[in-house]
Amino acid sequence: MSDAPAPEQRPFVVTPGPHLRVSETTASIMWWVNAALVPTAAWGVYAFGPPALEVIVFAVAGAVGAEWLANRLMKQRTTIRDGSAVCTGLLLALTLPPLVPGWAALIGGAFAILLGKMIFGGLGYNIFNPAMIGRAFMMASFPVAMTTGFSIPGAWYSRLEAVTTATPLGIMREHGMAAAVHSIGGPEGWFRLLIGMRPGSVGEVSVILITVGAVILLARGIITLVAPLGVFAGLALMTSFSGMAWLHLLSGGVWLGAFFMATDYVTSPSTRGGQFVFGVLIGVLTGMIRMWGGYPEGICFAILIANAMVPALNMWFRPRRVQAAGAPS
Amino acid sequence: MPLLDLLTLGRGPSHPEPHKGATAGRPIEDLPPPAEVILPLQQHLGDPALPVVKKGDVVRRGQKIAEAQGTGVPLHATVGGRVKSIDRQPHPTLVQALAIVLASAPEAESAPLEFPEDPAWRTLPREEMLARIREAGIVGLGGAAFPTFRKLQLPPDVKVDTLIINGAECEPYLTADYRLMLAEPRTIVEGAMLMARIVDVPRVLFGVESDKRDAAAALEAATRGVEAGALELRVKVVPTRYPQGAEKQLVTALTGRVIPPRMLPYAVHVVVQNVATAAAVRDAVRYRRPLLDRVVTVTGPGVMEPRNVRAPVGTPLADLVRFCGGLAGEVTRVISGGPMMGRALPRLDVPLIKGMNGLVLLTGKGPYEEGFGPCIQCGRCLDACPLGLEPNHISVRVEAGRATETVEFGAEECYECGACSFVCPSQRPLVQFVQVAKGALRKQRQNLQAVTK
Repeated sequence: MSDAPAPEQRPFVVTPGPHLRVSETTASIMWWVNAALVPTAAWGVYAFGPPALEVIVFAVAGAVGAEWLANRLMKQRTTIRDGSAVCTGLLLALTLPPLVPGWAALIGGAFAILLGKMIFGGLGYNIFNPAMIGRAFMMASFPVAMTTGFSIPGAWYSRLEAVTTATPLGIMREHGMAAAVHSIGGPEGWFRLLIGMRPGSVGEVSVILITVGAVILLARGIITLVAPLGVFAGLALMTSFSGMAWLHLLSGGVWLGAFFMATDYVTSPSTRGGQFVFGVLIGVLTGMIRMWGGYPEGICFAILIANAMVPALNMWFRPRRVQAAGAPS
Repeated sequence: MPLLDLLTLGRGPSHPEPHKGATAGRPIEDLPPPAEVILPLQQHLGDPALPVVKKGDVVRRGQKIAEAQGTGVPLHATVGGRVKSIDRQPHPTLVQALAIVLASAPEAESAPLEFPEDPAWRTLPREEMLARIREAGIVGLGGAAFPTFRKLQLPPDVKVDTLIINGAECEPYLTADYRLMLAEPRTIVEGAMLMARIVDVPRVLFGVESDKRDAAAALEAATRGVEAGALELRVKVVPTRYPQGAEKQLVTALTGRVIPPRMLPYAVHVVVQNVATAAAVRDAVRYRRPLLDRVVTVTGPGVMEPRNVRAPVGTPLADLVRFCGGLAGEVTRVISGGPMMGRALPRLDVPLIKGMNGLVLLTGKGPYEEGFGPCIQCGRCLDACPLGLEPNHISVRVEAGRATETVEFGAEECYECGACSFVCPSQRPLVQFVQVAKGALRKQRQNLQAVTK
C-alpha cells in the first residue's frame, strides 16, 4: 500500500460537529405532509367535481404567491420550495366548502400566509395555524359561501349545475340529531361517513383516506398519535351525553384537524404531555362549539383557541430532566 | 421502527447509523514505521512537556524526549532516529504547536529500547504505579486526553467504590476499542485490576454496548482467567444508543447513579477509564513501557480500504490514509475522532496524537454548508437529548440575543454530544448555540463576581 499516491494536501471543509445528520429536513417533512394529503384531496375532487379542484388550485396559488411576495418585500431568500406554503394552501382548501368561489379561496390562501405566518417572521414563528387563520378570515368575510357552499357528493357528473345542500352537522344544528342521522341514511350511515359519501368540505369527508395519509406520516415518524388521540378523547367526552358521539366523531373536520392540524409542529406543544392536553382541549372546544356555540362545526376555532394555549402548555409540560437522585445506591 | 414506536406513542430515539461494518471485521494491523513523526509537546490537558533532546540528537524508540512539567506528562520517541527539528508544527486541535520532529532511521542505527517485565508488577505500591503511569506519558485514550495519573490520584475528600472501564465505543464508524477488546482482553483486564488497586475499589465494571457482544464475551473470559481475589470484575452489556459511551450515560447505565450537572464521576464515587487506557496502564506498570502507539480506526466513504491501524503516535495522518489505500472519491471532510463529537481537520499533514481514536474521511456536503433554517418546534431534539435538556429553547433565545436566559433549559448542563443537532430537520447548529449560551453565562457570572467584590 505504501506506493499508493500521496493524499492531496488540499484544504478540506471545516464545519462544526456533529458531522453526520439525519436525512430528514424541514422541506422533506413538509412535502411528506403534502403527499399525505393527496388521497383525501383526490377524493374531494372525485366527490365534488371541478369546483373542488378550483378551490384547491386557487388556495394553494394564493398561499404560494403570497409567500413569494412576502419574501420579496421582506428581502428574504425565497422559501416557497420548503413546501410549507403549499401545505398551508392545501390544508386551507381542504377545509373549504367546494362551492366557494376560486377568487375567495385565493384571497383566503394569501391572507393565511401573510397574516397567519409571514407577519410573525415566517416559518417557525407563527402562533396560530395559518390555514385556520385563513379559514377564520373567510368565515368572517364570506359567511354565506362558507356556510352554504356544500354540494352532494357525486352529483357533479350527473348534473351541470352544482346544487347546494347542507352538511350533517348543519342539519343537526338546524333540525336536530334525528334529522342529521336521517340525512346520512339512518343509523347505518356511519359507513358513508367513513368512505366520505356525504356533503362537507373538500378534504374533510373521507375518514378512510385521511387515515391513509395519517398512517404515512406515522410510519415516517413525522407525527405521533398523542395529539390526535387527545382530540378524539376530548370530543367523545363532550358529545357522549348527546348519545350520538359516533356521529360527532365521524363528521365535520375532526379527522383532518386531529391528524393534520393538531400535529402541526409550529403551533402545537413540543412535549407529549403538552400535546395530549392540547389535543383534548381541541376536542372539548370542538364539542362545546358544536353543541352550544354559534356554528355547526367548531374544529377551526377550537384549534385557534388551543394554539393560543401552546406557549403556556410548553411551560407546564417540560421534558423530564435527568437529575441526580438522592444518595447513590 | 417508527411503527413499533406507536405503542409507546413516541417517535423513538434517533440513533445514528452505526457505519461500523467497514472495519468491525478487520483485526488491528501494524503500520510500518513512518519516515517521520511529529510529536507535539502538548497532546493532553495540562502543561506541555519540556524537550530534553536537541536538533541532531539520535534517539531510540521508547526514549524520553521531553520531560513532564506541572500537571502534564512526558513525551517519548515513537520511532528511532534523529531529531530533525523542534519547532511549531500543525496540530489537530491546537492548529499550530511546538513539536519534536523525528526522522526515523533503520534499527541498525537506532535500536528500540527494551522493556523487560518487572516480576514484582502485581504488588507494587500505589505511588510507584502512579509514577510509572505518569512516566509512560499515558493520557485518556478515549478522546479526552486527560492525564491518567491525575484521574487516578483522587482528591483527598473523594471516596470511590467503583472503577468503570469504558468499552461502549458509541461513536459511529469507530471500531478501534472493539478490536482491542477482541485482541487483548487480558491486557485490558490486567490494567483495570491495577487501576482498581490504585484507587482502592472493591469492584470493576466493564461497560460494552450490545452491538459488541463478542467483545464483552472476550472480556468476560479474560476476567475468569485472572486471579482477582476479593476484587469483583463484572462485564455488563449496555444498550446500543448514542451517546452511551459518554461518562454520564455509562455511569448511570452501569450503576444507576446520576452525576450531577457539571460534576465529575467522583461525585458519585466512580472513576471511568477507557479500555485502551487500561491496556496502556498495564504495559506501563508491568513493563515500564511508555505509550508509543495507539490503535486508530481509519474509515469512512473517503478512504479506499478502511482499517484498524496500530500506529506510532506522531504519524502524519497522510501516512495512515496512504496505508489504507489512499483517498476514495471526492473527500470533503476529514474528522479526527468520531463523526459525532470529533473535529474537522483542514488538512492531512497533522500528526496522530495520543487522544485520536478515529480518522473518518467523509464525502459529500456536510451539515451547515447551506446554512440552517428556523426552529419549527418539532421537538425532535427533546427526544434526542440524553439529559432531558431543551436545545430548541436555548437556540431560539441565543438567536434573539438573549443567551443568558437559557439556564432553566439546561445550557450549562450540556456536554455537547450532538444528538440534538444530529436529528434537527432544520440543520440547526444546536451544540454551537449551547456553546454561545455557556460563554454568555460564564461572562455574566464573572461580571457579577467583579461587581460584588
